[in-house]
Amino acid sequence: MSAIPAPAPPRDAELPAPVERVLDNGLRVIAFSQRNLPLIAAQLVVGCGGVAEREEEAGLAALVAALLTHGTTRRSATEMSAAVDALGARFDAISGFDASVLSMSATTPAFPQAFALLDEVVRQPAFAPEEVERVRTKSISDLALTYANPSGLARFVAQRVAYGGAPYGHPLAGTAATLGALGRDRVAWFHERFYRSDDAVLVIGGDVSADDAFALAERELGSWRAPGTPIGELPQGPVPPPRERTVVIDKPDAGRTALYAGRVTIPRRSPDYYSALVAMAVLSGYSGRLNQEIRVKRGLSYGAGASLAARRMEGLFTAATLVDHARAAETAAVMRATIRSLADAPASDDDLVSRKATVTGSFYRSIETIDGIAGMLTEHVLYDVPLGEMREYAPRVRAVDANAVREFAARELIPDEFLVLVGDASKFADELVRAHADVRVIPFERLDLGSPSLGA
Amino acid sequence: MNRRPVTALPTISAAAIGVAPLDYVDHVLDNGLRAILVPDRRVPSVAINVVYRVGGKDDPPNRSGFAHLFEHLMFKGTARTAPETIDRLTEDVGGYNNAFTSEDITNYYEVVPSNHLERLLWAEADRLAALEVNAQNFATERDVVIGEYDQRILAEPYGMLDELVNREAYLLHPYRRGVIGSPQELNAAALEDVVAFHATYYRPDNAIVVVVGDLDPDETLAMIERWFGRIPTPSSPIPRVQVVEPPQAAERFYEHRAANVPLAAVEEVYHIPAAAHPDAAALDVLETLLGSGRSSRLYSSLVYREQVATTAYASADLREQPGLFSVRLICARGVALAGARAALAREMDRLLSEPPGEAELERVRTQIVSSLVRSRQMNNSVAIAVVRATAERGDPGLINGDLERYLAVTGEDLLRVARTYLRPQNRTVIEYLPA
Repeated sequence: MSAIPAPAPPRDAELPAPVERVLDNGLRVIAFSQRNLPLIAAQLVVGCGGVAEREEEAGLAALVAALLTHGTTRRSATEMSAAVDALGARFDAISGFDASVLSMSATTPAFPQAFALLDEVVRQPAFAPEEVERVRTKSISDLALTYANPSGLARFVAQRVAYGGAPYGHPLAGTAATLGALGRDRVAWFHERFYRSDDAVLVIGGDVSADDAFALAERELGSWRAPGTPIGELPQGPVPPPRERTVVIDKPDAGRTALYAGRVTIPRRSPDYYSALVAMAVLSGYSGRLNQEIRVKRGLSYGAGASLAARRMEGLFTAATLVDHARAAETAAVMRATIRSLADAPASDDDLVSRKATVTGSFYRSIETIDGIAGMLTEHVLYDVPLGEMREYAPRVRAVDANAVREFAARELIPDEFLVLVGDASKFADELVRAHADVRVIPFERLDLGSPSLGA
Repeated sequence: MNRRPVTALPTISAAAIGVAPLDYVDHVLDNGLRAILVPDRRVPSVAINVVYRVGGKDDPPNRSGFAHLFEHLMFKGTARTAPETIDRLTEDVGGYNNAFTSEDITNYYEVVPSNHLERLLWAEADRLAALEVNAQNFATERDVVIGEYDQRILAEPYGMLDELVNREAYLLHPYRRGVIGSPQELNAAALEDVVAFHATYYRPDNAIVVVVGDLDPDETLAMIERWFGRIPTPSSPIPRVQVVEPPQAAERFYEHRAANVPLAAVEEVYHIPAAAHPDAAALDVLETLLGSGRSSRLYSSLVYREQVATTAYASADLREQPGLFSVRLICARGVALAGARAALAREMDRLLSEPPGEAELERVRTQIVSSLVRSRQMNNSVAIAVVRATAERGDPGLINGDLERYLAVTGEDLLRVARTYLRPQNRTVIEYLPA
């Protein structure tokens, strides 16, 4: 058997071309066709999520979204489940910081009825008191599970350290105190105020022509009227730099210590976004620099990686890992040095070939399904990125060069980064203090994620 | 508002959901290797699956877990390539790879940009023809697999339950050994076992290559011929499991207690025929009727209405040889297992006493057909469906008849099939309790 054959020339994907129209009630509709299978997907994106809730009502947007699947004025929660299953449909509602998204997909013959259910859900939710109680109780008990996991807790703490009292700082899932104070009235208020046709976008596509998709949207959602009340000004950046740079949550019962390093960085629509994606790929994955330094060379952890949360305003860069308590300070130093290596020992253009391939490969896989295409279009709409840019995604990634990655990292990832550790502080705090002057240690019992300064 | 004044259950006829048959090329090389190609040129990506008809049931005597250990060794390099070559050929070009071992098969798969197809076919042929395992990476990988046993079977709260299901439901058939095997028997394995196993099962006439996605069938067949065509086929026959499990005559019971069980659980397991049997479609329908979605019988009665269980579901585990149908529930906090089992018994009795109504049956058919359509969206899920139809049922073309088979299942069929297989005499009950 002779040597391995060379790759053939690459072929670029043909992406579906989205078509856009605005209904009379202000609803923006984006349609695409992908007709290989009898499936249609819709995502209704409401332009308000956690950013619209007040600090003392953290968790409200998420509670509203969860309750939308729990019954309407015409159907109980059980009847709604039966209706969705009878159509073989998939239905989900979630809320992030910048938006709330309702997704419904079904086979072509079932879709018109499934889409009518989506309309019923968004316009006529019941918010029955017993369902409010059921979902609120479950949300509070889920928080206990999240806090029991050091990585889950560290992510919430990192968000607070990065943004403080600015938008994106508070926990989307709320706290036991904020959830406990929320009732049906506030849920109904949030829905009435923010779920409105003049601040929503419908992405719909699959086995349907654009014209038929627009007709469906008009038939179900054309009579949806925005309330007379203005939506009001939403909070805006800019985000002040963090008050503390190194925060430790002392949790002696944690199995291991979770580490998060990071920094507030660019919004999704920034032209630097594609350099950022390549920088994340240099740091992440099995052969990424963080895993190589932390796991492969030193055996400090099972794995380490970095990510960038894409947002409408300034997003969050984080690098994360999980280690033995006693080696947490050492790992923190390795993690910081590895992030700095993006500027000190930059990847060459040759190094970047495989890292860029991981970015384009995962992009193409994400649009293999119609739900994936709808999700990618939603991401563009939500973060004010021109829709046409989706077709340029892979070429833009390939155009990123070594200099762009180095320059981006030096400007946006490295200066003033913060560090969060959640674990048994008695095993690493002294060593950490020797390396960092400004360490703040907060015992877990005194931590309040509902407070911009983390309480205490 | 211009609203329709109805709140009736929306309905859809499952028969109205059409899906075009898969167009495929099925070709057997002179050395016995079977190639099945499904072109779909929408996205410039391909899924490559290479499946060997060897699984947990084929483990050598006193070497349970060996087929799975061997799967790990297939990543350790060959006479021509370094360890992790497959990772470099996939991850570095934006793809991924993995493998799994079941009771019946070992399946290796890669998803890559389509211009890399021939490189992966080369690498797959290379590890079939020239696998090279040395004492050191054999020992390391054996430790990794035993670590996986510790993590998945011992450390996870319900990790031992699947192992007990196989061990207690079968008395004679090698399915009773499961797939992950026992650490003692893995520790007893030696390098010569590896060589013998590769020679016995890793041969062209025991392999099927399935490629789905952006491909030209003629070019791809030529590539497969080029790299796999010259690998010789041994003249010895491939050993096949001939053991037949005797019919079960009376209910059996097993109790397991362990410290890391947060809430009591039970699994009730029934013997069912092989995947190629005509009753298989009805068993799939019963699985969905009992356990899929919030409106399924077990969820709506045990979890939502009576609140005796936190989870409850059914599984038709159809295999190449006669498999198992099981129902499993985990108790809600504060609920005694006996009470939850009584509620489960009411649902199982109902299944044996009357056929489901037409509306319920239509809902279930629609759920099954809809998820079948969804599963066609991704190249690799189509490839795995082709692999399973071919290896477990003998014919990739069966995939194109599945939709019709599900639609043809009637309420009377379900009653007959439930009465035939889901009888208490044909059942093994495994209670899984906190110590």
